[in-house]
Amino acid sequence: MIPCQHGVIRTADPDDAHTLKQYYDSVGPRAAKLDRKREVVTPTTDELQELLTRKENEMGGLYAIEDRGGRVQGFCSLRGVSRERRMGEALLMLIEDRFYAQPLAAEALDFLLDFAFNTLFLNKLAAHCLENETAARELLIRAGFESEGTQRDVVFTEGRWHDLEAFACFRRNYRSHV
Amino acid sequence: MSLKTRMYIRRAERDDLDTVVEWMDAPDFRRFLYGDPARSPRRIREQIVAMLGRTAGHTLPNAIYLVIESPGHGPIGLLSLQNISWRNRSCSIDLYIGEPKLRGGMAAAVAYCQAIAYCFDELNLHRISAFIYSFNTASWRILERAGAVRELTLREHITRDGKLYDMYCYGMLRAEYEALRDEIDARFSDASLAAMIAGRKQAEASTEAPP
Repeated sequence: MIPCQHGVIRTADPDDAHTLKQYYDSVGPRAAKLDRKREVVTPTTDELQELLTRKENEMGGLYAIEDRGGRVQGFCSLRGVSRERRMGEALLMLIEDRFYAQPLAAEALDFLLDFAFNTLFLNKLAAHCLENETAARELLIRAGFESEGTQRDVVFTEGRWHDLEAFACFRRNYRSHV
Repeated sequence: MSLKTRMYIRRAERDDLDTVVEWMDAPDFRRFLYGDPARSPRRIREQIVAMLGRTAGHTLPNAIYLVIESPGHGPIGLLSLQNISWRNRSCSIDLYIGEPKLRGGMAAAVAYCQAIAYCFDELNLHRISAFIYSFNTASWRILERAGAVRELTLREHITRDGKLYDMYCYGMLRAEYEALRDEIDARFSDASLAAMIAGRKQAEASTEAPP
């Protein structure tokens, strides 16, 4: 368990499956809900429970972000970590949009950056946002991420097309940013 | 006169194997078959099993592999349509030209154009993507000439020979493809041999006519 100024970050347990399901059920498309084919995934609680039961998964561990009152505000993870390319992708899955503007979200993202650059010694950390995720976008930019461009009409959901913006933070940028 | 029939059509199943093999053994039927006439009965049977074994999942595959073939050279490369999302109506295109002499030439350009047309006109996709290494200049230039838009520049994204290189992502939307196709059709609508002959005759007739 890693204590932060505004809460704690801990590994997610099978008991967190219902809270994680809340994220997937939350209104609006989110980049973190997309799979490799950029399709919106809608896992069941059982599937999430099974995922959280695994000691190790391809995401390299899913972490719960708890506020001071013990309420889980969301989850964070690194996925697609490649040792060869020394890069991975940051996932920040907060249940409500307003959480992205709160200090705990910044602390969670800083935890991922620190883990990526100072523990895994990665060179690049990628992140993605759909065009409606303005709060998450602002958080990434404040943390030192830079846009690498936008893929148009990548996702079709809720009756229309959505653009997907790619971000990256490099080890050198993170150090200078810190 | 009303014609009543109980005839219907259905998907072939594995149980149909013996019937189909029996048809194929008949010389008058084989005459109309496509393929190598020297195929052994075992090979024919294997091919039919593969054909009849197709499941519904194969009608919406995640990937499609196509061989690029030239009359002069035979098979020259492979075109793969990966990560096909039938929900987002999108896919990612990879083109490999196996014959070194043909890389960067017209063969690759033609293959890309055919792949793009196949994705939009046959698969009814809305968007195609292509991820190309920055040092593969020949490939991304072809895509740019074909009207694809460079949407992403993924910096220091891949390692080759100990160096980090950028990767570009190109995207093309259906509307852009259709606009390009219409423009090409309008520009080259008279490019057929028949149109050229007709145009020539018309020009000759107008010069021969008295003032």
